[in-house]
Amino acid sequence: MPLLQVEHMTHFFGGLRAVHDYNLSIEQGQIRGLIGPNGAGKSTIFNLITGVYRPSEGKVTFRGESIVGLPSHEIAALGMGRTFQNLRLWRHMSVLDHVKMSQYSQIDYGLIGAFFGTKRRNQQEKENTEKALQLLDLVGIRHLADSMVTNLPYGVQRRVEMARALAINPKLLLLDEPTAGMNPDELMDLMQVIRQVHNTFGLSIFLIEHRMKFVMELCERIQTLVFGEVIAEGTPKEIQNNPKVIEAYLGKEVET
Amino acid sequence: MGYFLQNIVNALQWGSFYALVAIGYSMVYGVLMLFNFAHGDVFMVGAYIGFFTASGLMALAAMGSIAIPGWLILILTLIIAMFLNSFVGMAVERIGYRPLRDAPRASAAITGLMIGIILETGNLALLGAQRRAFPPLIPPTVYKVGGVYITNQKIVIIVVALALTLALHQFVQHTKWGMAMRAMAYDFLVVPLMGIPINTIAALTFALGSALAAAAGVLYGVAYPVLGPYMGIIIGWKAFVAAILGGRGSILGAASAGFLLGFIEIFVTMIFPSTMRDFIAYTIILLILTFLPNGFFGEPYSAKLRL
Amino acid sequence: MEATSSVPTKRNAFNAWLSKQWMPYRQVSLLGWLLGSLVAVLLETFIGTSLAWALGMSDVPALFGFVVMLKQPELLPSIILYLLLIYFIPIAIVVRLTKSIANKIAGLLFRYPLWITALFHIVLLYAVIDVWAVMNDYRVLLAKLMMIAIITTLSLNVVNGYMGEFSCSHPGFLAVGAYTASIIMVLFFVNDKVMGPALLPPALGPFFFPIVLILGGVVAAFSALIVAIPSFHTRGDYLAIISLAFMFIIKSLIENLQVFGGARGFMGQPNLASLPVVFVWTIIAIWTINNFVRSTLGKAMNAVRDDETAADAMTVNTRNTKMTAFLFAAFWAGIAGGLFAHVMRYVNPGSFGIKKLAEVLAMVYFGGLNSVVGSIVGAIGFNFLSEMLRPLEILKWVIIPVLLILVMIFRPTGLIAFKDFDPEELLRPKNQTEEEV
Repeated sequence: MPLLQVEHMTHFFGGLRAVHDYNLSIEQGQIRGLIGPNGAGKSTIFNLITGVYRPSEGKVTFRGESIVGLPSHEIAALGMGRTFQNLRLWRHMSVLDHVKMSQYSQIDYGLIGAFFGTKRRNQQEKENTEKALQLLDLVGIRHLADSMVTNLPYGVQRRVEMARALAINPKLLLLDEPTAGMNPDELMDLMQVIRQVHNTFGLSIFLIEHRMKFVMELCERIQTLVFGEVIAEGTPKEIQNNPKVIEAYLGKEVET
Repeated sequence: MGYFLQNIVNALQWGSFYALVAIGYSMVYGVLMLFNFAHGDVFMVGAYIGFFTASGLMALAAMGSIAIPGWLILILTLIIAMFLNSFVGMAVERIGYRPLRDAPRASAAITGLMIGIILETGNLALLGAQRRAFPPLIPPTVYKVGGVYITNQKIVIIVVALALTLALHQFVQHTKWGMAMRAMAYDFLVVPLMGIPINTIAALTFALGSALAAAAGVLYGVAYPVLGPYMGIIIGWKAFVAAILGGRGSILGAASAGFLLGFIEIFVTMIFPSTMRDFIAYTIILLILTFLPNGFFGEPYSAKLRL
Repeated sequence: MEATSSVPTKRNAFNAWLSKQWMPYRQVSLLGWLLGSLVAVLLETFIGTSLAWALGMSDVPALFGFVVMLKQPELLPSIILYLLLIYFIPIAIVVRLTKSIANKIAGLLFRYPLWITALFHIVLLYAVIDVWAVMNDYRVLLAKLMMIAIITTLSLNVVNGYMGEFSCSHPGFLAVGAYTASIIMVLFFVNDKVMGPALLPPALGPFFFPIVLILGGVVAAFSALIVAIPSFHTRGDYLAIISLAFMFIIKSLIENLQVFGGARGFMGQPNLASLPVVFVWTIIAIWTINNFVRSTLGKAMNAVRDDETAADAMTVNTRNTKMTAFLFAAFWAGIAGGLFAHVMRYVNPGSFGIKKLAEVLAMVYFGGLNSVVGSIVGAIGFNFLSEMLRPLEILKWVIIPVLLILVMIFRPTGLIAFKDFDPEELLRPKNQTEEEV
């Protein structure tokens, strides 16, 4: 059984068809990519899978459970972590608090614990802090745990997002253009981090990307989305040589 | 039936004040995305400026023993009060809002609230606690039309309110300045790139809103000739609610919501004891906002308070 | 440019001198300060009155001489002398003499669980406040009102600061709590002309008072559902109006309930809100609210405020978070209302209107958003200022708004905003700091 299965997913914004008959099946441990020109609907697909929007039609199954119509936080708690295309960090929170926040669904001390500071709460907060610090270690920013996110450079903020997504104990990680705005050095670092994360946790990863080199190197299979429809799917090599993909990216060759 | 129609006329008059004051709130809200909590008190200041202007003009006429007709004094009072009060509005913007342009919106709301308190207590300190009687400018004449009693005062109030609303709407829709205001309402950040002077537009917005508030103040003085330093609170807060109900930055929306509020209040007092007026009016507002979360005429939008 | 350059150096020299003088006091633990204050207030109890007479004042200056200063400026030298002799010099001496022993005791206490240390300090703090306040009734009343203001401000900060909504409903919650508690207390424990004889023996009143207060808080929390439920879909401005409408609805509802006095108000509350009672409630409020905002469940409010979509994607149940924030804040506002009613022993709907709203908002934004210490400072500072400027009468309400506008211009989020309040840091013995520095 695949970890995530999307069948015939279609979505309309008002009268506009943003996604049409989208299908996807990700196995445990796979790294998959989604490419396509701007405005093709890639982020919309992420938002549909993660429950930000509810798809107009189609089935989405995650870990054997239908997740259509579930609120975002419940889908996330099932083990779906994500990052955002434009960083969505919490302006007034420290790096450590970001990572601790993602463990929200794992907290069981309840409001009594929160109000009265019970032993259980202190215990659990301490454990969560430990775990958060380990994750920060993994992405290499433990020394910045107490900084406010707004003061950090862009590449570091991306790492915070990654650590934050990992803290929910995901089975599947959705990365929305993780390299956006990065310089080549940061890019190599990030590729390292993603590989490491993938190996450490045995995660499945589904990523949207523009940088071909990055996608081609990381992904086992790639889909190409144009105007909300998948026009090609296959291994990096197949995609690279697919005339439809070349046409979508470079335009049609003028026949002479 | 006559009773019913009578109340419609009363509601139109009562709604006129709300409408004129609500437009001021709505404009500031639309253009700068700020609550101008001082606006109710700007209305009060407008009424007082009107009071002094009218009294002064009448004294002048008496001194020179010229018989200036009441309606002429009213028109002059309206114009002078609107003109002077627009400076009050610009001063409020300059002191309370411009320094906070990049601050969280809630902070600007607090300064507005505080400027309102300063205007109230400033009035109290300067003029004392006694209330002022607005001079009777147009002697009331009662017309009876089909069982409905209409005074000439009511006609003047309703006509002036509607005329000013429409004039402002035309201004915002068709002039260069109005266009700049709408552009600012649409996207605050892009406007300076287009060479539109933000500070001028902001001042203009406050000036226009305050001018309308002054008109409302003078008209209020004509209908209910007792002025007090806290008169702005009663009209102001409800007009504020009406402005939001009308949708963001929509002038006709704010005016309509102002009239609607007038109708709700007058008709509530028709059926229930008048002490229930606020209770029922606000309950209706609460229900409307809970089930129509974008007001009546505004485009759907949800703004987070910038923190 | 050259002419001005000497000013900063002079200022720097002064600053250096000041910080050198201040050096020894940096190692004074909270315990030391409390001991010093205790000595000062005891001193005032025993020799304050005679000293005041000797210095030509009619009585002990009630509020550190600030009120007297504005009324009779010619007494300024006496006031300064009085403050020096009663407060500054004794505190400075005691603090320096007991520095090492206080640090030792604090260090000793620190080995036990934190609550023991905290309790020790709280008892000492209460002793200071009590000895200071019992000098006259005005101080007692002021202390009670300040503490109630602290509870109110903190609870509003939960919604307006930590969650970033602009809620205007707080006077409504205060009113609901005040009336609920008042009505139950009078109905059950007071032989009242209007409400009839007490249903239970009035002697039981003090024991049931906490339960009744909590009940008032719970009813207030229930009423908060009216604002909390729309907050699922609406944020920001429309929610502000909904909360404003809620406030007006509660006010005019009470005005129309003739059974409970309507606009005339409701009186006859038993005299149960004594200084220790209010103090204990204030401590519980600070403690639970601070616990909450520092827990992950409480910080979820910050996540919802800063980016709701991201919060949702990171497993945060945003609806629960909003609900908890509103209900919890309303609960404490209800408690504050109940206490207020029993301190004044009279409530009327007029005291829960726009003016109250302006006051609470002012305290929150003056003190600082998203900060427990900020709220405490805001509540105390605002009330203190308001009492201090009382001799100026009307002008007071010009000066306070002007000050607040200045605060907003120069510190738009308030004096002490976005600060975590860590009691452990506060109670810690301070002798280690020397090595760190």
